Amino acid sequence: MDAFGMGLVAAMGALATVAGASEDIDSDIGSQSNPNSQVQLAAQVGNPHRIYNKAIAGEPPSNALWCTTAAIMAYVLIEGYHMPLLFAAAAGASLAALFDGVMSVSAYLGRNASQARFNQWIYLDIIRYTTPSIMAHVWITSFCIVLIAIMQVYILTPHHPFPIPVIALVWGLTVGAIGSSVGDIHYGGEREFQWRLFGQGLNTMLSGQIVRKAEAGLRNSIDNAWFCAKFGGPATGMGFGLTVFLDNWRTTVFDPITQAGAAIAMGVFFVIVMNLYNFYCEVSARRKYGPYPGYKGDIAA
Amino acid sequence: MAETVKGFKIDPKKLRIYGLVGSVVGIYLAYILNSVTGTNIFSFVGALAALFSVVWGANAVRRVCAYGIGTGVPSIGMLSLGMGVVAVLFGLSIAEQMGIGLLGVIIALVYSLIFGYVVGLIANRVMGFNIPVMEEGLTDLSGAGTLAILGWSFAISGSLGYADIVHSVINTGFLAIIFICGGLAILHPFNANLGPDETQDRTLINGVMVGGLSTVATGVCALMTLGLAAGMVQIVVGFAVWYYFFVWFFRLAKRDASAVVGTGLLPPTVQ
Repeated sequence: MDAFGMGLVAAMGALATVAGASEDIDSDIGSQSNPNSQVQLAAQVGNPHRIYNKAIAGEPPSNALWCTTAAIMAYVLIEGYHMPLLFAAAAGASLAALFDGVMSVSAYLGRNASQARFNQWIYLDIIRYTTPSIMAHVWITSFCIVLIAIMQVYILTPHHPFPIPVIALVWGLTVGAIGSSVGDIHYGGEREFQWRLFGQGLNTMLSGQIVRKAEAGLRNSIDNAWFCAKFGGPATGMGFGLTVFLDNWRTTVFDPITQAGAAIAMGVFFVIVMNLYNFYCEVSARRKYGPYPGYKGDIAA
Repeated sequence: MAETVKGFKIDPKKLRIYGLVGSVVGIYLAYILNSVTGTNIFSFVGALAALFSVVWGANAVRRVCAYGIGTGVPSIGMLSLGMGVVAVLFGLSIAEQMGIGLLGVIIALVYSLIFGYVVGLIANRVMGFNIPVMEEGLTDLSGAGTLAILGWSFAISGSLGYADIVHSVINTGFLAIIFICGGLAILHPFNANLGPDETQDRTLINGVMVGGLSTVATGVCALMTLGLAAGMVQIVVGFAVWYYFFVWFFRLAKRDASAVVGTGLLPPTVQ
């Protein structure tokens, strides 16, 4: 273990935290992934809305696409044209943001046009002011992920044997999966259904009955970003940052070849501690806020 | 709206022939043009050939997923390219070992069609999907994925040799972008147009549009593997394809939507 390596691991953790947070907010602005099904369903049950409908293949594949796009550009600039690392990452992230803009707009147009019979209109102003915020968040995510990949390949010793695009693909899938399972719950559970009873879960009867009106005027996707940036985004960032940091920390402290056993044992220890903490959180929430008013007892499947 | 937009409706069987023939002919045409002129500037023709298979694949996704596979759309697209990667590597390496390098495309295609059919059989019979067009759809998807990967791999490597493709597409990691961007080109069209009023022309035009984006991406890769000139040509061609089809897609969306407004409140009936 050396101080430089540990500093890099810490930097990677910090970058991953930012990437996770921006990834989640990006998907919340666009209503991607799990909450998207409710946005899609809303018009079909008679609730046309002014919320963005960015259906791009679920978060893991779409984030893998942004990060890989950024990575190929960075890789070409670094290897082929000997550009500085930071410049290459920034240029790559810009290309990824453009790709994202195109995909988002096509998804919004396509999904809403396919709901013509439910009277779901296409609002061009939503495309104009929401798409740039989505692209900006994608820029941040792919920039951070590409920097992590660059660090792993060029700076951290031993250098990672895989090329940058493949590492970025894997990190993109990971950040998408974590954003999908951590942050989207906050958006889908708390923001789309604000008036249901707390702790009830989502009743099938409520499917598609999302909140469409805001404190003033109609709700739009920027309002959702404002809400999700308070908890969902940071929680996702912490989830992804901890994953990157703890995983790299144990292989930096313990040599993966000579002290493999200790590194694995440390990983198992982290998993056990996190499970215990999760259990504690749930029990504590039930104790403080339960019994939930809408809860009618477990129903056998 | 007085504006009339060109729409179309194509029979899946015809589309399959167009996709197959267009891609195979395009890949070989690219190879011949490169060999005859002794340059690699015509590698972009390989990327254009991939667009035919993208349309073919996008239509197959549309047919299979119309049976109510909503969240499975991304999975089936990834499956298509996954089968494609296996088939391409198998076909090219077998052809190289047998000393018939040029026939690698055909071997990969035949292998992928059989592979896709078997996967379809397993999905329907063993896993019990019970979708009538599953075998047919997965055969189409596997073939389309294979030809898309071959086309874009040619666009990056400028060659059909196994060793060249391993050197400039797999060792550099550019296969990752072909996999994910090509996969999105096949799965995104139906995913982005999902809904009861989905139309074939809008979905397929969306596919070509994303294919144009993928061509831009492979052009960026070609900047390193083939040099500045060949890469730039590919980026420009990809951009042109994207722009033309994006404008067309926007017009089709305007044609199909219940209303396209600059801004406004919710539709009057539900306010």
